[in-house]
Amino acid sequence: MTVDLNLVGAKGAIAEAAEGKWGMSIDQDICTGCQACVAACAMENNISFVGEEDAGYGRSQHWIRIERFWEGAYPEVKATPFQPMLCQQCGHAPCEPVCPVFATPHSEAEQLNLQVYNRCVGTRYCANNCPYQVRSFNWRDYHTIPERGNMVNGTLVFPLHNQFNPDVTVRRRGVMEKCTFCIQRIHKAQDKAKSEGREVEDGEFTTACAQACPANAITFGRVDHPESLVSQLTHQKRGEKHLEELNTLPRVTYLKEG
Amino acid sequence: MSQKISRRDFLKLATAGGATAAVLTGCGPASRYVTREPYVKMPEYTYNGLSTYYATTCRECAAGCGLIVRTMQGRAIKAEGNPANPVNLGKTCARGQATLQGLYNPDRVEAPVKQARQQALAAEAMNWDDATQLVADALNNTNPAEIAFLMGTASDHLFDLVTDLTNAIGAPAPVRFGALSMFESRATLSKAAEKSLGQAGLPYFDLGNADLVISFGANFLETWLSPVAYTRGFAKMRRGNSKKRGYMVHFESQMSQTAAKADEWIPLLPGTEGLVALALGRLVAEATGGSVARVFSTVDVREVSIQSGIPLEQLEHVASLIAEAQAPLAIPGGQALGQTNGLANAEAILALNALADNFGKPGGALLSPLAPNEDTYHRPANAREMKDFIAKLNSGSVKVLFVHGVNPIFELPKALGFADALAAVPTVISFATFPDETALASDYIFPDHHGLEAWGYQRSATGTMQSALSGAQPVVSPMYDTRSTADVLIEAARLAGGKLAEALPFTDEVAFIQSKIASLIGRTDGSFVAPEINSFTSYFQQHGGWWKTAAESAVLSAAGALNKNLNVNAAVFAGEGEFFFVPFVSPTLGEAGANKPWLQELPDPMTTVMWNTWVAINPETAHELNLENDDVVKVISEAGEVEAAVYLYPAIHPGVIAMPFGQGHTAYGRFAMARLLESRLVGLVPRAGEVGDPFPRGANPADVLGAYFNEAGDLAFAGMKVKIEKTGEKQYLSRLESRIGVYGEGLPQEGH
Repeated sequence: MTVDLNLVGAKGAIAEAAEGKWGMSIDQDICTGCQACVAACAMENNISFVGEEDAGYGRSQHWIRIERFWEGAYPEVKATPFQPMLCQQCGHAPCEPVCPVFATPHSEAEQLNLQVYNRCVGTRYCANNCPYQVRSFNWRDYHTIPERGNMVNGTLVFPLHNQFNPDVTVRRRGVMEKCTFCIQRIHKAQDKAKSEGREVEDGEFTTACAQACPANAITFGRVDHPESLVSQLTHQKRGEKHLEELNTLPRVTYLKEG
Repeated sequence: MSQKISRRDFLKLATAGGATAAVLTGCGPASRYVTREPYVKMPEYTYNGLSTYYATTCRECAAGCGLIVRTMQGRAIKAEGNPANPVNLGKTCARGQATLQGLYNPDRVEAPVKQARQQALAAEAMNWDDATQLVADALNNTNPAEIAFLMGTASDHLFDLVTDLTNAIGAPAPVRFGALSMFESRATLSKAAEKSLGQAGLPYFDLGNADLVISFGANFLETWLSPVAYTRGFAKMRRGNSKKRGYMVHFESQMSQTAAKADEWIPLLPGTEGLVALALGRLVAEATGGSVARVFSTVDVREVSIQSGIPLEQLEHVASLIAEAQAPLAIPGGQALGQTNGLANAEAILALNALADNFGKPGGALLSPLAPNEDTYHRPANAREMKDFIAKLNSGSVKVLFVHGVNPIFELPKALGFADALAAVPTVISFATFPDETALASDYIFPDHHGLEAWGYQRSATGTMQSALSGAQPVVSPMYDTRSTADVLIEAARLAGGKLAEALPFTDEVAFIQSKIASLIGRTDGSFVAPEINSFTSYFQQHGGWWKTAAESAVLSAAGALNKNLNVNAAVFAGEGEFFFVPFVSPTLGEAGANKPWLQELPDPMTTVMWNTWVAINPETAHELNLENDDVVKVISEAGEVEAAVYLYPAIHPGVIAMPFGQGHTAYGRFAMARLLESRLVGLVPRAGEVGDPFPRGANPADVLGAYFNEAGDLAFAGMKVKIEKTGEKQYLSRLESRIGVYGEGLPQEGH
């Protein structure tokens, strides 16, 4: 690829020429809004629930959420197609340059937006700057709220902690978090492939949300491999990316109705 | 292959067949429980840092979806669907995902207790020897006719065991019930199948091969019958055919989650669904130029348009869609069946399928096959049978009641009076895993394992046309001092001796399960073949069950559904109120999800409300009544009243209000309950008590339902009229969709 760097918009052209690595397509025509992906994501990634009150303040920690909007008024009212919204793993991520402590770097190897929990100091600039509103902040140490445990012989025991996925960090108060495209699964698949002396195959693994989705609306894979399923779906006519005009280069493609 | 499989052979086998990563099981009687071993004494198949996967069956509802549970060092980490299981093909719903939050719930019954019908869970543990002896004495010293078993819809192996037990001693057969089956109107579906398809059983609607779906209230994308299977069918209907996108029309008085996925949602007055189906049938027959079948011949289309509130042009439009479709499919469900005329509605809707001549054909109405070890379809009790059961309890003719897997105090309409009927039963023994309302009202709780700690099997009643038996095995060793109810009954029978011991001559639960699946040994039409019981059991565990490889479909005739007179009488509504009341099962909570905190924090797909109950009201209606979002209203029917906050729901008939079922627990652990907070947002409703006191989270719409039934005996849950009264209080609902509440934004100024 050669791009004349003297041209206006050259930087954008470079970025656009690079398709990124991992990507996702979400078929809104078959998404039923059932929340299985939301639950699967929470179970896989040790996401804490925040309780009724904090949820009401908008502090819930959904890495993926399902949006629905109303159009029109009764009886001509329509709910817009369910729209799962998650970190778009932007090629030009607005969250990245604003972090004063480099807790939101871009992974060169995987072309993902990372979140380094032990670097994060909780300025929340990244969440402010995210046009997709997909970052969530740990306002408390939710996992160790005493009411969630039982006192056993003088010790506070948390049975729910047994469920923690050992591959994923448990986040504490004051830390920002977001969807990672299940990077622990990416690494696991890569390690396995490497030990067997081969490349990771398309469909060999997938993210927790895609694995659970009963409608198979979510497809994950390599967008830089033209033959992968996600590439083929992404290049369908009904594919659309959100807020593309901001030049964020999102890696998630939404397939519309029709 | 050798007749016996050693564990090491088995390992190889599991890896070779590893479509789903290695699925490991212990084999043989020596390793019936998975143990949490310390590092110094690792089981031979466990490697540090590597996960072990077990196939089992989800027990969050009765659908029988297969699970593969990832475990690590003896802990269950993640539940995924079993790709081999024909019901769910590797997929799960939100409730299946959250099943681990039941296993690791901090509110479990951790040991057998003498509950003595107290308000709170009894603190002092009994030992299992005394508990088992107590069960043995109860079985032995009671006249068999005065013993009753009340069971949930899962798990089937325990139902079979109890059936064998009651048959042997001449006790009444166990009664099964579940709120989901009540709201699914399973008896109505089965009866309608008998009358229209010619055979009783659960109909299965082959969405995947239809190109037009006309759904009458069937909420098949939420909780209905087998939601994962139906969602798969829906996706296939929509996008499976590259040439034609499937089209969907949904008739329902409120826009449910399923209705939201329809291309056209057509609101109508509750109870008129059957009439609309007949009118459509008549219009289609006229449009296609054929003769109008007898079943449609008496309907007056204009009259139907007036009664249902659907404009005539809209009916004609839908009829033209049906007439042009290659494979139209009509589905009866939800509030169409939960009416006094529910059975007639179901028959009328099935007649549309008969008109399309799709009975027993791809894309049509099929009859679900029986499971491999099933002789006839055992449907759960309908609400009228539950009423009879409660009358029997009240009459004092039941001396010992055993309850397993069901929470009737919460799940049944309060008007049926189950809680009061318990007073007439001298001994109530509960086998509950969680301290739910019914468990607390029992004399003893002898807790069963959680489903992930337990053996079992579940017949897939519907959701696949492959006859399937889904197997369950423990994926972790039991967390607490719980004991499998099957083992308790087997041991109690042995202690009691005589007929009881003869009925259950098994060493343990696994031996019983083996006796039930032994008939499948040597069968070549299934997912695996094994020559004898030990290897069969191993495969059964490894594959997560046994199912036939081929789909089977009964040949059904449409003649009976068309050539008959069908009177769809007007639905009768109980009470004086001005609103039709429509309860529906919360799509995220289901019947028993309220104690799982992540299910509580899943936003409702339509309202995005979390952790609470709402009353959905049309904004115009609310405006007339001077109601705003979060105003607490009293919903009053002739049977009772509940209080909940208003949600202005733009997609509901102005004359209808709707409420989700699943909340309003008065027990069932800390997440199902709320705590009094000093807070602006929660608990603004003045309540007596100290900060921190528990109170019901949300409200239970079953409390306002009366004891009215349809022709098949199912509850007419959508057959109530209610009135609403503003209480003047506010309860700010936590919802995902708006930021109301943040820093006081959008909150009314007064009071702050």
